[in-house]
Amino acid sequence: MSSIAIPALEKVNVEKREKPASQWTLAWWRLRRHKLAMIGLAILALITIASIAAPLIAPYPYEEINLRNSYATILSPGDVGRPMHYLGTDRLGRDMLSRLLYAGRISLLVALSVTLFSVVSGAIIGAVAGSFGGALETVLMRFTDVMLTLPQLPLLLVLSSSLRQFTQVQLFLGRNFSVIIIIFVLVVFGWMGVTRLVHGSVLSLRGQEFIQATLALGASDLHIIIRHLIPNSFAPIIVAATLGFGGVIIAESALSFLGFGIMPPVPTWGNMLNEARAAPLQDLFTQALFPGFFIFVTVLSINFIGDGLRDALDPRLKM
Amino acid sequence: MSNYITRRLIQSIFLLFFVSLLIYVIINLVPGGPFDLLRQSNPRITQSHIDRLNALLNLDKPILPGKYCPQIGNEQQPCRFDQGRYIRWLVMIFKGDWGRSWTVKTGMPVTELISIRLGYTVLLMGLSLFISLAIAIPLGIYSAVKQYSIADYAVTSMAFFGQSMPTFWTGLMAIAIFSVALDWFPTGGVRTSGMEGDIIEAIGNIFTLGRAYPELQGQEIMLINDGLHHVALPALVLAFFNLAGWSRYTRSAMLEVMRQDYMRTARAKGCQLRVAIFKHGLRNALIPLITLVGLALPGLFGGALITETIFSWPGMGRLLIDAISNVDWPIVQGILVITAGLVIFSNLFADVMYGLVDPRVQYK
Repeated sequence: MSSIAIPALEKVNVEKREKPASQWTLAWWRLRRHKLAMIGLAILALITIASIAAPLIAPYPYEEINLRNSYATILSPGDVGRPMHYLGTDRLGRDMLSRLLYAGRISLLVALSVTLFSVVSGAIIGAVAGSFGGALETVLMRFTDVMLTLPQLPLLLVLSSSLRQFTQVQLFLGRNFSVIIIIFVLVVFGWMGVTRLVHGSVLSLRGQEFIQATLALGASDLHIIIRHLIPNSFAPIIVAATLGFGGVIIAESALSFLGFGIMPPVPTWGNMLNEARAAPLQDLFTQALFPGFFIFVTVLSINFIGDGLRDALDPRLKM
Repeated sequence: MSNYITRRLIQSIFLLFFVSLLIYVIINLVPGGPFDLLRQSNPRITQSHIDRLNALLNLDKPILPGKYCPQIGNEQQPCRFDQGRYIRWLVMIFKGDWGRSWTVKTGMPVTELISIRLGYTVLLMGLSLFISLAIAIPLGIYSAVKQYSIADYAVTSMAFFGQSMPTFWTGLMAIAIFSVALDWFPTGGVRTSGMEGDIIEAIGNIFTLGRAYPELQGQEIMLINDGLHHVALPALVLAFFNLAGWSRYTRSAMLEVMRQDYMRTARAKGCQLRVAIFKHGLRNALIPLITLVGLALPGLFGGALITETIFSWPGMGRLLIDAISNVDWPIVQGILVITAGLVIFSNLFADVMYGLVDPRVQYK
């Protein structure tokens, strides 16, 4: 019996091949190269961390009043044994830097929640309108258009000032009711952009083959929306959400500045600017400079990040 | 084309009805009315007094058409159908009666209050629109033509910075720097104190040949001068935000246009660069700007609201804020409907203009 010699399987020297980079890894690489976006990210991270850590690093409690030391200038000494007022004090002698840090918590928290809620609700509405079509689509998209034609800022003022007059709402929401009202009101007027984006991208996706294939495999509408339509519209949503985040910070500050937003004693950058208006004219500069500067720097870094994200996620849109 | 305009016009009118309904309902869902303060300030006023006063202003009626059960004090009256407050208000608007102010200027007709303030807002918004276009377009062209030069970087980064600066901050800083420190402009208001009349009255006088305010005749030039001195800073502040965005936009539109074949053709047939840019390029680049400006109007009104507050400019924005904080719904409704109408029709106008200046756009 001749045995058949089975040749030993030659060890194929496969070159260790790297897993192909995913779309997101590629985007991250492109973003890493965008200098301004990286600077923006660093500044935003710094402001966020400083705000979160406010109770640890703020030299004073934000509501500590010292009437003998109102409108102190930059780098003025505190009372004996107390830290310096690095950025001066306000009308009631409260430490400016501490208030700015605490204000950052509220402003960022509001912006984050508003962006989150409006993106989620906007994406759902847009996806539903786009994938079901028919009368539902017409109604939803027409309503979106109507919401876009409403004069926003005046209605924001009306809505937030009227919600505040419902005493039940106040009792229900407790001490921070003005924060929750502002979040609600800004979401009511904040979802339309994302709805349009998602609607558009769903429309273009709906005809493509992989969706047809999923349908043929018996997937439900909900499955298609959640697993295929929304993930595939992620790139423009992320860009819109980032740029929207900056817009929300400005909108919240504008409302608080006009006295219809978040109420003192809770400090926000906007209502600190509102208080600055009451300052004597010669103190206006220092009183208005810092709260506005925080808004400016935050929004600027977010815009840088948004720009970088747009270039990274969708190079076709580069401006 | 005229078919298209008619259809869009009808659509816009329907849209305006719907928007006005939405505005009316949002505002009137709020509890309380003009007489709540009365009750707090005078203990002898009972609920039935309030009910009677509310009935007088139709405030006890339902907002939308429906069942209405009058009740004065504890006295219940039989129910009947009522057309509702919204329909009533709409009908009155068409008759030219926009209601009367509740609290801000009690009893004064809303139309009168608004028409006094309208001129100031139009002046502020118009001037700032003019300033931002007059600066943004040349800046955009320049930075597109000199792409990647230092000037281009300066313009692009200025646009970025400008868009991140909220109007309320630039406004306060402008006062602190240009009014307080440098003393170039007044800190607010429309006229120097002690002066009779102001810029709006002077302009009214010029248009009516002195019949509007006879006592101000001969002082128009001085009044306009003084008014311009006061409006300059708020208009610049208001212009700043749009200026940033629009110069960035003009730049990218110009860059896009300069790559087109017809630009190369123009240059090839011996056209000078300057002529090619201004005669062939710019016209095409500016077309989409029409839409952009049309869409910016609501934002401009929002900005005017803030600027008027900062600079104590007595326009509609200030009136609106006063009205909202004093629960004066007739004024709020009036101003919001005007603004919504402005937005809707400026969109329509922008679309129609777009078709007129760009023959490639075909409306069906």
